[in-house]
Amino acid sequence: MMMPTLATAQPGALEKLIFGPKLPASEPAAMADGLFMMITWFSVFFFVVLMGLMFYFMIKYRRREGVPTEPSPHHNTLLEIFWTVVPSSSLLVMFVLGFQGYTQQIVSPSDAMELRIEGNKWNWLATYPNGASSPEFQPLSRKVIESADGMSSSTIKGRDYPIFYLPENTSVKFRMNSQDVIHSFWIPEFRVKRDVIPNRYTTYGIKTPRLTAADTYIHQETGEEMLGRDMWVFCAEYCGDEHSRMAATLRIVPQDYFNQLMEDWGVTGLPWEEGEKIYKQMCASCHLIDGGKLVGPPWNESSDANGQYGWGYPVSLESGGTAERDANYYRESILDPNAKIVKGYAPQMQSYQGQLDEDDINNIIAFIQTLSEVPPNPHLEGEGGESESEAGNQAEEAAGSES
Amino acid sequence: MSTLDAHAGHHEEGSYLSGPPGIMAKVWQWATTVDHKKIGVMYLFAVLFMFFVGGMAALLVRYELIDPMREVLVQTVDANGDIIETTATQGENLKDLFEGLGMHEDLTGTQIYNRAFTLHGAVMVFMFIVPSIPASLGNFFLPVMLGAKDVAFPRLNLLSWYIYLFGSTFGILSILMGGVDTGWTFYTPYSTTTDADHWRVVLMVTAAFILGFSSILTGLNFVVTVHKLRAPGMGWFDMPLFIWAVYATSIIQVLATPVIGITLLLLIFERIMNIGIFDPAMGGDPVLYQHFFWFYSHPVVYVMILPAMGIISELLAVHARKHIFGYRAIAFSSLGIAGVSFLVWGHHIFTAMGELAAVLFSGLTFLVAIPTAIKVFNWIATLYKGSIVLNTPMCYGLMFLFTFSIGGLTGLPLATLATDLHLHDSYFVVAHFHYVMMGGTVIAFLGGIHHWWPKMFGKMYNEPGALIGMALVFIGFNVTFFTQFFLGTQGMPRRYANYVDEFQTLHQISTYGSWILGLGMFVHLAVFIHSLVAGEKAPANPWGGLTLEWECESPPIEHNFHHEPIVKHGPYDFETTVPPHWDPKDYPIHPDAGKATH
Repeated sequence: MMMPTLATAQPGALEKLIFGPKLPASEPAAMADGLFMMITWFSVFFFVVLMGLMFYFMIKYRRREGVPTEPSPHHNTLLEIFWTVVPSSSLLVMFVLGFQGYTQQIVSPSDAMELRIEGNKWNWLATYPNGASSPEFQPLSRKVIESADGMSSSTIKGRDYPIFYLPENTSVKFRMNSQDVIHSFWIPEFRVKRDVIPNRYTTYGIKTPRLTAADTYIHQETGEEMLGRDMWVFCAEYCGDEHSRMAATLRIVPQDYFNQLMEDWGVTGLPWEEGEKIYKQMCASCHLIDGGKLVGPPWNESSDANGQYGWGYPVSLESGGTAERDANYYRESILDPNAKIVKGYAPQMQSYQGQLDEDDINNIIAFIQTLSEVPPNPHLEGEGGESESEAGNQAEEAAGSES
Repeated sequence: MSTLDAHAGHHEEGSYLSGPPGIMAKVWQWATTVDHKKIGVMYLFAVLFMFFVGGMAALLVRYELIDPMREVLVQTVDANGDIIETTATQGENLKDLFEGLGMHEDLTGTQIYNRAFTLHGAVMVFMFIVPSIPASLGNFFLPVMLGAKDVAFPRLNLLSWYIYLFGSTFGILSILMGGVDTGWTFYTPYSTTTDADHWRVVLMVTAAFILGFSSILTGLNFVVTVHKLRAPGMGWFDMPLFIWAVYATSIIQVLATPVIGITLLLLIFERIMNIGIFDPAMGGDPVLYQHFFWFYSHPVVYVMILPAMGIISELLAVHARKHIFGYRAIAFSSLGIAGVSFLVWGHHIFTAMGELAAVLFSGLTFLVAIPTAIKVFNWIATLYKGSIVLNTPMCYGLMFLFTFSIGGLTGLPLATLATDLHLHDSYFVVAHFHYVMMGGTVIAFLGGIHHWWPKMFGKMYNEPGALIGMALVFIGFNVTFFTQFFLGTQGMPRRYANYVDEFQTLHQISTYGSWILGLGMFVHLAVFIHSLVAGEKAPANPWGGLTLEWECESPPIEHNFHHEPIVKHGPYDFETTVPPHWDPKDYPIHPDAGKATH
């Protein structure tokens, strides 16, 4: 089946009616739209056939006094098999295409830039790889109405929302968690969302589009028209009073401009440097970073008879089986150390719940990532929403075998 | 086999509606009755009242959404040339409305909206749509259609009615105390932490917990009744399809409802005793709640729709005077839907679960589409060569095919993973389930009420009036909800009190539609009241039906039948059988009848 892609698709009038004037922002988003249109045409076809028959029968076989009903069969096995098999096989096609599109939509390549997303009631906060976060805000809408005599003006505006900048044509992976209740990070133009859950990381990846000359936005402070593309981020999981005001603007800008912003917003300590400080204070008495064995397993890339160590490598568990050393694994090991015990080690670590905050945990993870050759996002897939990373692995293999 | 005429000489047995003289004696008689018909009628009025409450909440929700909330900064230049700034808010419609009434002055506009949509959802799901068809029409007609005097356990039936009242009392208490803002799904950890110093959430959850028992007992009663109380001569495949549908529903109710009971109990424990089950701050897992919740709440979707499908089978067959096409396929697809319904709960959690699980649940979800599609095909085929009369019940039957098909087909992009990532928790979902729940269940319920109204109350309703109501409901419903598909695909999240400017036009159209829909419902209410007060007396069999309820008087006597009926023909043998209490001259049988019927 030919799926329309960004390169080939010029949305028709129907697509514009359905999805609004904004084009899908990535290849997988365009594919999802194509699949949606395919399902829509399938549905329209069946609906028209069924309703056509219904209205035809309604008129043709309307009741006329004294005219008996004509006998007709009470069932027809062939016909019934036909109308079971045909829709079933169409559904199978939808399922398979939906599965393929799904893996592409949540995948992030290994060199993706990681953006940390934190949700809390009722704000989004994004943290860039260098530890900076965006200080810019703009209102939801702004209309100025001047009175006829020019003596007064009304400014109608919504609440201020943060602006998250991303460079164009770049793979980005969101690593998300929530500070309180469940939220959901939805970027309609990428046609994807994923729930943001407390005490757990969830992830998905996007590829930002290339900018064209037509992509411009008005800068919220200078009023200047600049090259870039604004899109909405909404919270899609009900989270209380101001749920409907939990939004943000995602702004795709040229790489140079993005680099400039990162420099301007630079923070005093880089995450991995902060993580190293915490390591020296709190962790170094049990964990080495030169491959040596103390009370706990080493953090750097190394190996011994029990298996490999270091970010991105699978861990053999004392209880049997393996787990993936990803962000969720390290997070759990810090907060609930006895949940997974590395083979050859004893459950001796105390929980650091309450002693280390979200930023600390993130800084430690950033530091651990620097100790391994495996890039921060070693997998085709994200870590998956659930702690069973086996589920993620299998889906990943399936995805890998198809690509 | 006319049971009416054969007993003209017998002593007079009054209708079930005639009671002892005196208001108090009547009230006492109804309050202590074990007659399934009286219990069914009490349920009918109770669920219709709840539909009114939930519907009013829906109109409030739509009223708020007619425009977005905005802050307005007004700058005026005064005589001295100084700029005076004042701020105000606009678009907080519900807050303005309630302030006018002197209510909820301490709440913000979004808080009032959140309570309104929760009220709408919780009342509609737990107090209206789950008990709606089985408890009212099911209670009244399941024993009659089986040829029984009553359900298997009449006293248990009365108990489940009082449990329903008791549970609803908790819900109404919670609403009167100010309502809850959790959404009807009570997702943790929001539901375990919101409104922490107050009992309202616990009361509402308790209401849902208690109402579950009412469901279980009714379901149990129906299952036993179907197994044990069928009239002589009625095999399993001679049962009307409405019975098959209610039977499948009852099985789901008995098996699934205990799970929600346990889940809600855990939720109450967590709130009151701070036991960490779902709240991660106490070491719990919030997504676990969603699994528990939907393990019940997905099968319950079929508790809502299966009885509606049963009604449609009756309406189409009777008003087209046609044998239902593919009787066994329809009967077995009811059971098939009931079985698969237990395996698809995960599709409510696609965006919060691992990849492998999401893929599995997507595949399973497609399975449930197949028996549903088969039913629709069979219904359309039933109309072929029929004798179709476009009265209100039939129009609702045909409307069901229209709206339910849209509801079913728009489920496809939600089951497809790649498209669901966009549509999940958007207005597309809202539109989809309203097309299924309202366009399916409520439309069939309205059709069923009109179909059986003469039997239940012994009075005809005003046909032109009801048709006007029907037309308004059809137009209003589609204007309200079809627009919401576009809102969803364009990026409007659900449960939003507020939205960005580009969505306003579609929201306005949807709100106008809700007013037309509301008007249609009030027309129906007026027609019903008119019928009860001044309706023409109904004959025993106004539509020419062949199922056993049309052999009773209208309204039926207390024990339904003067003599135990013996079943000699199938429920849909319209081509070969003249219906009871019907003049053969008015009901010609085709000379070829019986030849080509298999």
